[in-house]
Amino acid sequence: MTQNARTIAADILIVGSGITAALMAARLAETTTRKITVVEAGRTSTPFAERTRARERFVAYGESPWKQDHLDDQNAYGTTWGFSPSMNVGGLAMHWGGVSPRYSPEDFQLRSQFGIGDDWPYSYDDLDPFYQEAEERMGVAGEQGPPALDPRGKPYPLPPLPVNYNLQQLQTWAAAAGIPAWSTPSAKNSIPHAGRAQCQRCDTCYPVCPTGAKYSPDFTWDALVQGRKVELITETLVRRLEADPKTGRITRALANRTDAGGQAVTITARTYVLAAGFVWSPHLLLLSRDSRHPNGLANRSGLVGRYLAGHRNVNAYLRLPMELYPGINAQHSLVSKKFMRPVRGQRYLRHDLRIWESSVGREPRLRDDKGGLLLGDAMLTDWKTRAAGATARVRAYYDVLPHRDSMLSLDDSRVNRFGDPMPALAFQDSTESAALKAWQEESLRTLFREMARAGNGEILRMENSANDLGQEHPAGGCRAGNDPAQSVVNGWGQAHDHENLWVAGAPTQTTASCCNGTLTFVAVGLRTASAIARESVA
Amino acid sequence: MTEPTRRAFLKTAGLLAGATVAGTTGCTTESTQRSATGTRNDRVLGFDGDLLTALAEVVLPASIGADAGRRATRAFVAWADGYDPVAEEMHGYGYSDVRYLPADPSPAWRAQLDALNALAMRTKGKGFVTLDVPARSEVVAAALRRERNNDRLPAPLGASHVAIALLAHWASSPDAWNLALGVQVSPGACRALDGVARKPLPIAGPRA
Repeated sequence: MTQNARTIAADILIVGSGITAALMAARLAETTTRKITVVEAGRTSTPFAERTRARERFVAYGESPWKQDHLDDQNAYGTTWGFSPSMNVGGLAMHWGGVSPRYSPEDFQLRSQFGIGDDWPYSYDDLDPFYQEAEERMGVAGEQGPPALDPRGKPYPLPPLPVNYNLQQLQTWAAAAGIPAWSTPSAKNSIPHAGRAQCQRCDTCYPVCPTGAKYSPDFTWDALVQGRKVELITETLVRRLEADPKTGRITRALANRTDAGGQAVTITARTYVLAAGFVWSPHLLLLSRDSRHPNGLANRSGLVGRYLAGHRNVNAYLRLPMELYPGINAQHSLVSKKFMRPVRGQRYLRHDLRIWESSVGREPRLRDDKGGLLLGDAMLTDWKTRAAGATARVRAYYDVLPHRDSMLSLDDSRVNRFGDPMPALAFQDSTESAALKAWQEESLRTLFREMARAGNGEILRMENSANDLGQEHPAGGCRAGNDPAQSVVNGWGQAHDHENLWVAGAPTQTTASCCNGTLTFVAVGLRTASAIARESVA
Repeated sequence: MTEPTRRAFLKTAGLLAGATVAGTTGCTTESTQRSATGTRNDRVLGFDGDLLTALAEVVLPASIGADAGRRATRAFVAWADGYDPVAEEMHGYGYSDVRYLPADPSPAWRAQLDALNALAMRTKGKGFVTLDVPARSEVVAAALRRERNNDRLPAPLGASHVAIALLAHWASSPDAWNLALGVQVSPGACRALDGVARKPLPIAGPRA
């Protein structure tokens, strides 16, 4: 520690300020009287008042609305699809799309129901109240799907985003193909809510909502900080946790300022919560290695950084004999969960299905089919012809079960300014998933062909995930389980090896299902927050 | 997470550029001197205004009318003037490295305008702006003979020639999409959720 080192005392220390951290902090602030301190390595992001201008620049030029939302020397390498270097207050969810589906009950019982993968240490029903709480805290607008496909304990907090004219036509087409599809649940205000505006379908939900209709964690942080409910410390990178060699309890967190001074900061707390996502949470545990814990903290099982999970997709564009008008609300879609609940005993394939309007094949072009140059009215006439009709985009995420060696490790060849090795990611399918991959992807292509036929349409093109790049909506790295030999944390997120250390959200997940993950990351985090509050009271 | 994908957004960088940046950036004439070589030096934020107007008459649809053509040209100039070279690109899904926008394309586009004039002098014996539209079109076609882009126009920022950039910039505007679709959709413009379930109104009818 340097002469100018700063020391901070807290009751509950939360490392990271992303969406899971924000909503956990909100819950903890309501359910405990403990002092909550949140440490974030990055800075605050583009203020709300500047987001209209930031959107204009993004739309005009592709500029990031979130400039300087990262640390240049703090990044992950390897198969990083689905990872974002965003390191700022609010994390990646400052530019998420807001899509908020739940997993299905099967996700929690794959071993029990299908004989593959592993069960989670809790069930969908156990998580249901925390799903509901996450939806209410974020303000999710959703439509109840068929109850057998879309089970939930209570209604969505907000009415669904409307199924617009284009999606109505596509809904009819999907029904003709035997697929029920409904308005995709989204953390976007279908009505004014929580002091934020109604959606104005600006179609830049990803990466920036200029109106505040889409939930982002800064809204929660602003309220918590202004209400003095939490202490939010920015530009401070937690680099190491230390554990008492006798009790195993975490005794302090060692950090450094990420500004030019780099001042050392020590934080002591009763409870330590890692809410820094699937990369930085296991990374910090691995960095915290010492002579007693040569493989890092919480790592008696040797599983810290392992079982990184995600999903892949097959995507298709179809031309359909109907009239659609691209741009009515292009980021909103239909969803179906028909294929997330398959019959037991069949060869294993679970996937979601999303349907969008699309402008693919309907854009203006410079040359006609014969190579003739199209300028002026000739271009416009050609464009009108191309713009007529309809293109639909369909995409299915299918779940990929993780191999034990699907992992994050420390790469000593890449270090940050403090000399800390950066994380290297290498996703790997389980043996079961690897054996199923080709058949699963062909099954999805077959489904899309059948959908095209049902609408008298044709496939324009199909494509798979670039799976050499990694997997989408990644999770894992500190998997939860009841057996300390086979997991890092218990079903509440509490480390098996350190009673006052908790890991929150995505890293604890056994699998990553076959749909967008953020809502589940938050629900899992809220479940952990409930346990922390319970322990705090005790 | 990728609906529609971030890459699709970057591909269409420039969408609404006229509607957004032009609305906030001025457009001034810097000088009005002419040279004796056929080049005209009405500089509009660095662009030769007369050459650009003459080019717009070739690449933009005449059917949109002269006023709309002038607005589109002004919007293009304002958009080009507002560009911030090497600004951070949007990042997030798909890659972890931070990427930066390319260098300012405007100097090359300005040089290409001058080159159109030189080519007109060489092949037609007159300056570009003094040619009639069919003759100018021939000059532009000659300049673009190597340009392909059969599938779609590039985003304006990715255009390798000023003629394509000007056309692509207009084509990315909500008004251009409305013309192509024949209805009042105005893609990318923020507007109320009300009425989204109805079929969009035709462009000739009342405003949506």
